[in-house]
Amino acid sequence: MNSFLNGFMNSVEPINILWVIIGGILGTIVGMLPGLGPATAVAVLIPITFGMDPVSAIILMAAIYYGAMYGGSRSSILLNTPGDGSAIAATFDGYPMARKGQAGQALAISAVASFIGGVIAVVGFIFLAEPLADFALKFGPAEYFLLMLLTLSAIVSLSLGKMVKGFIAMLLGLLLSTIGIDTQTGVYRFTMGIPHLSDGIDFLIVIIGVYAIGEVLYNFLTIDKEKKEKKEVGKVWFTKEQWKRSKWPILRSGPLGFIVGVLPGAGGSIASMISYSTEKQLSKKQEEFGEGAVEGLAAPESANNAASVGALIPLLTMGIPGSGTTAVMLGALIMLGLRPGPLLFENQPEIAWTLVNSMFIGNIVLVIVNILLVGLLIKILDTPAKVLYPIIVLLAFIGTYTLSYNVIDFFLLLIFGVFGLFMKVFDIPIAPLVLALIVGAEMEQNFRKAVLSSDGNLSIFVSNPICIGLIILILLSLFYPLVIKAFKKKADKNNLEKRVS
Amino acid sequence: MKAIKLAFPAVLLIISCTFLIASFNVPKANLGNPNGPLYFPIGLSVLMLVFSIIYTIQELKKLNHENVQIRELIAGRTPKLIGITVLLGIGYAFIFERIGFLFATILFLGALLFFINGVKKWKANIIVSICFSFISWYAFSELLGVSLP
Repeated sequence: MNSFLNGFMNSVEPINILWVIIGGILGTIVGMLPGLGPATAVAVLIPITFGMDPVSAIILMAAIYYGAMYGGSRSSILLNTPGDGSAIAATFDGYPMARKGQAGQALAISAVASFIGGVIAVVGFIFLAEPLADFALKFGPAEYFLLMLLTLSAIVSLSLGKMVKGFIAMLLGLLLSTIGIDTQTGVYRFTMGIPHLSDGIDFLIVIIGVYAIGEVLYNFLTIDKEKKEKKEVGKVWFTKEQWKRSKWPILRSGPLGFIVGVLPGAGGSIASMISYSTEKQLSKKQEEFGEGAVEGLAAPESANNAASVGALIPLLTMGIPGSGTTAVMLGALIMLGLRPGPLLFENQPEIAWTLVNSMFIGNIVLVIVNILLVGLLIKILDTPAKVLYPIIVLLAFIGTYTLSYNVIDFFLLLIFGVFGLFMKVFDIPIAPLVLALIVGAEMEQNFRKAVLSSDGNLSIFVSNPICIGLIILILLSLFYPLVIKAFKKKADKNNLEKRVS
Repeated sequence: MKAIKLAFPAVLLIISCTFLIASFNVPKANLGNPNGPLYFPIGLSVLMLVFSIIYTIQELKKLNHENVQIRELIAGRTPKLIGITVLLGIGYAFIFERIGFLFATILFLGALLFFINGVKKWKANIIVSICFSFISWYAFSELLGVSLP
C-alpha cells in the first residue's frame, strides 16, 4: 500500500501533471492521425523522454500511450478511420452517431466510458499485480521460456486466417534477435563483420522503422485520395437517456476488458470486439447496433481502455509484453534503464505504481482535455497529411539517431521501414515480429540455461505443474482457432444442407 | 502484378536460406557446449524456411486473385513517393553529421515536403521545414539535452 501511495504522490507532483498533459495531448494528436495508433505514437515520441529522469519519462510515456488511445477513438468517430485495432469497434456506432449529428455526444460518451473503464482496470491492477509478481518469482528458466513461447503463440494464433504469416513474422523476429554476440559464449553471430551489429539490432530501430516509417510509406498508397470531411462537433456532452443506456454496458465492459487485457496476446482489439458483441446480445434494441447505438460505442471504449491497463500486468510483473503496443512500451522502459519483471515490484515498486497511477491521472486529464479542448484538437485533423507525414519521418530519424548517435542506424531504419510497408501490403502481422524480436534473446538464453541445468535433458520442460500448465495453454492457443474454424465450417455446411433439403 | 505478389514470398525464402547457411557457419564456442550458439538459429531458420515454402504455395494458389493494395502500390505516384522518401533518407544519412543537424534537417524536410506536398505550396513547405527543424533542434538539443551534430 505504501508503494501505491508513493507512486500516487509521484504522479500528482505538478511537474508530472504537466508531463501528463503534454504527453496526453501529443499522444491524442498522433493517435488521431488516420493510420497511426498508440504503438506508432509511443515509437515516434520516445526521443522526447531522452534526458528526463525515469519517473517523469514513464509518466510522459504512459500519457502518450493513453492519449493515443483516446485520439484513435476521435478519428474513429469523426472520420470512420481507426488509429489502430482497438479503436475499430468505435467506428461501428460512433461514426453513425457523428453522421446523425451526434458527434459531440459520441465524443463525450467515449471519453467518459474510457475513463470509467480505465478506473475499473486500475482497481483490478491493484489487487492482481503483486500476487502475480510473487507467483512469477517461482519461475525458473524453463518456466520463463515456456511463458515467452505462450505469449508468442497467443499473438500468432490471433492472426486469424493468416497463421502462416503470423509464424513467419514471429520466426523472423526471433532470427533477428540472434544477431550479435551470443552472451553465453561470446561467439559473434550474423554480424557480417560489421562492428555496429555486434550488440545486435536495437529493437527500437525496428519498432520505429516498421511502425513510423512503414506506416507513413503505407499511407502513401492513399495520400492523394485524402478525404475532406466537414467535422461539425456541436456540444460535447450526452443526454440523460444516452447515459442511462450506456452506464451498465460501461460497467460490464470494464472488468471484461481488464481480464482480456491480462491474457497474453489478446488486448484492446479483442476486448472491444468481445464487449461489443456481448452488449449486442444483451440489448433489447439489437437492430440499432451499427446504426448509432450509444451502448455500441460506450462498451468497447470502456473495454479497450481497461484492456490497456490489464496488459500492463504481464508486462510489469513478468516482463512479457502481450501486444505490439506493450512491446513498444517495454522497449521504452528498457531504454529508460528499467527491467520489467517480478523483481521490479520487489526492488523498485514505486516505479511500477507510478506508471499505474499516472495512467489513472492520465485518464482524468484526458477526459477533461477531450471534452473541453476537443474542438481545438480536431482542428489537427485539418492539417494535411502531406505535411504531417514528412514531419513523422523526420521524428523517426531523430529518434533513431538519439538511440546510439550513429547514422548507420538510419540505413537500418529505412530497411525496416520498407520491410514494414511490405508487411502491411502483404497483410503480414507486425506485432509477432516486434514481440519476438524483444523477447527472442531472453527466450534463447532461458532455453539454453534450462537445458544446461538438466544436463541436456528436455524433460525439464515438463518437470512441474507450472510447465505442464503452460504447455497446455500453448497448445490450446495454437489449436483453438483451428477448432473454431472447423466448427464454423461444419455449422456452415449443416446450414447449407438444411437449406437445400 | 503477379510477379510482385511472388516477390515478398521470394524475399522471405531468400532470408530463411541465408540465415540457414549462415547458421551453419557460426563459429563453434570455446566455452561450454561448442554447438550451443548454433542450435537456436538453425532450428529457427529451418522452421522459417518451412513456413516460407507454405506461404509461397499459398500465394501461388491465389495468384490470379486481385489485391487492391498491391495494385495501389504500383499505381500512380506511390512508387515514386516511396522511392524518393527512401533516397532522401539515405541522403540525409550522408549529410547529417557533415553539415550538422539543423541545415541537414532543413534540406531533408524541405525536399520531402516539396516532393510530397507539391511545389505550388512552396510558402508552406519553406515555413514548415525551417520552423519545424529549428523547433526540433531547440527541443532536443537545448531543452532535452540530446547531443545533436
